[in-house]
Amino acid sequence: MSTPDEPRDPFAPPPPDPAQPPAYGQQPPAYGQQPPAYGQQPPAYGQQPPAYGQQPPAYGQQPPAYGQQPPAYGQQPAYGQPVPGYGQQLPAYGQAPAGSQVPAYGAGPYPPPPAYGAYGAVYPKNALAVWSLVLGIASFVLSCLLLTGIPAVILGRQAQKAADEGLADNRTMATIGIVLGWVAIGLSALGLVVVVIVLAAGGFTYGSTSY
Amino acid sequence: MATSRPVTAVAPVRPADGLRAARGSLSAAAAAGAGVLLLLVRDPHTLGSYGICPLRLLTGWSCPACGALRATADLAHLDLAAAWSSNPLWVALIPVVVVVWAVRLTRQWRGRPTGPLPAWLAWSGLTLVVAFGVLRNLPVPALTWMLP
Repeated sequence: MSTPDEPRDPFAPPPPDPAQPPAYGQQPPAYGQQPPAYGQQPPAYGQQPPAYGQQPPAYGQQPPAYGQQPPAYGQQPAYGQPVPGYGQQLPAYGQAPAGSQVPAYGAGPYPPPPAYGAYGAVYPKNALAVWSLVLGIASFVLSCLLLTGIPAVILGRQAQKAADEGLADNRTMATIGIVLGWVAIGLSALGLVVVVIVLAAGGFTYGSTSY
Repeated sequence: MATSRPVTAVAPVRPADGLRAARGSLSAAAAAGAGVLLLLVRDPHTLGSYGICPLRLLTGWSCPACGALRATADLAHLDLAAAWSSNPLWVALIPVVVVVWAVRLTRQWRGRPTGPLPAWLAWSGLTLVVAFGVLRNLPVPALTWMLP
């Protein structure tokens, strides 16, 4: 009797564990397409007042507009719809900071974010890790390693911090950016040493290699 | 984000708060200004004045940034033609960078939130830079105007 019971207990925990990671794994690809869409929002900030003013008419169009989420991204009036949407799920409507919303979800259960995912507001700082990675790559595309390596490390650190706070889900990308940045910085230091040695040995005698 | 915008857009911003929010943009501009001043004092056209390029030394290729210092110095001397001949991509990107900087500075000054620059901008910028680097090094006479 005890043997059938024992397997159940050990087996019971594992299913949830494998079940969750796949759920996580499905999120990143879905969100990967969001940062671009999200990035189109900031330029539109300047149009806030008119967009805000259009809220009352937009209220009547809420249900159909929800179904049209993708096209709604580019359209500023769509902003009037997320707001009531948030208000229904968050009592903290008056608490303006977006940062307070997302950490709250990061600390709690993960299911809510998928619902927000449609709006691209779940991981507002995913772009940080992307910039870190791109700058890390650029360090090797461009030969001026320090100029992009240092920002890659700094932004990567910020991206890791954002990931820890639940504001981003691409921590691995940030880590790669940091590694690339440090490699670039190390190569720059090595290059400086070589330059000093060459200078000490008699200076430059080759052709146009100026920056 | 969405809920915060109307609030911050309406709320008045004290100058001290605006200054604090914009200190990153302002210090970046100060660093850029200091760099331009340095280029005016020490001419990058002089060989080895700012070190050597290991890539150019080892391979003979011009990386996408090659000529950027010379182009910046030429621009500081208001010589657009010389700047363009050194690094056309950099010269073309400078107005874009300035506009993005000004937009972010304005938003920070007014107390509006500025998140990280969008990811698509990073990817498209990297693509542009790589493409420019490949094109300018192709042994095609029609493309050599990209070389410094």
